[in-house]
Amino acid sequence: MLRDLQIWLVKSIVAHSPVADLMHTAWAWPIAESVHFLGLCMLIGCIGTFDLRLLGVAKRVPIAAMHRLIPFGILGFVINVSSGVLFVLTEPDQYIYNSSFHIKLLFLAIAGLNAGMFYLSSYRQVFTAQASLNAPLRAKVIAAISLSAWVTVIVAGRLITFYRPGPCSPQDTTWVLQCFPKNQR
Amino acid sequence: MNIDPFLIWLESTALSQWVVGSPSLLAFPGILSLHAIGMGFAVGICLALDLRILGVAPGVQIAEMRRFVPIVWVAFWINAISGVLLLIGYPTKALTNPVFYLKLVLIGVGLWLFRRIGRRVFDGTDDGAESPQLQKLAIVSMVCWIGAITAGRFLAYTYSRLTALD
Repeated sequence: MLRDLQIWLVKSIVAHSPVADLMHTAWAWPIAESVHFLGLCMLIGCIGTFDLRLLGVAKRVPIAAMHRLIPFGILGFVINVSSGVLFVLTEPDQYIYNSSFHIKLLFLAIAGLNAGMFYLSSYRQVFTAQASLNAPLRAKVIAAISLSAWVTVIVAGRLITFYRPGPCSPQDTTWVLQCFPKNQR
Repeated sequence: MNIDPFLIWLESTALSQWVVGSPSLLAFPGILSLHAIGMGFAVGICLALDLRILGVAPGVQIAEMRRFVPIVWVAFWINAISGVLLLIGYPTKALTNPVFYLKLVLIGVGLWLFRRIGRRVFDGTDDGAESPQLQKLAIVSMVCWIGAITAGRFLAYTYSRLTALD
């Protein structure tokens, strides 16, 4: 079932990808990668430092003041989703059949749900006057999970290239089946 | 000056061959991952400081951002060490590519600006956020880091020789 969905996804993207031609021009792919790395730095520099602040680094900085960096972390995330989508829409088989990419998506989801937990459970608390310098334990746990999840996203992303599926020549008519992940063949 | 004998010797060392050839995830993939994590924290925190100087998050006392400085340096040393290991793995690939030297210069200037900005704002005497001169330094710092990241990524596409051994 999942296998059928993956094959369907790869086939549909290959058939309709609006960006593949653009991404195959001389420097498009490396430029998109550079943008992806810059977004990574913005995300860690703004969301990661906010997590570190919740964990007790720079304790004299009010948490609410530090939170003003978050929009730039979200901008980094948006930059990375946009550039990341370009890669998947250009070489879908290299990602959709790639276990390291699956792990990356899983930890992206964990980071997202965890951030949602922060705004549901701790946001108001850490923004009140008394608590503004010391985050409650719950917020610290969320911050530690956030940092770990983002670092795992970086590692899984960096490892994608080492888990590329087998021969995937687009010229070969049977390539979709050949491109199936090795460990499931 | 012909450095090929040096490159050939370096590529034939056990360490170089472990970095490049070991099937262990801790070898090349692990070193690359550390390099990416270090980049995220070192460049990310530098960018956050630059943003603060440019007026983002005005409630953050700029001098207090010095608490993040040790993290920048730990991340920098992770990247210096992982970078040297990657260089030992593929010395010819990097050392025969001008883009590699451009990357090193941009990192050098970026770190120099980080220290210079730090001297101005971390001792607490100069809140500095409104100083146009400091804001110029912050912008140049951002340009350096963007350039260093781009140069680093382009290393994979602009090299002329992969190894000296073949």
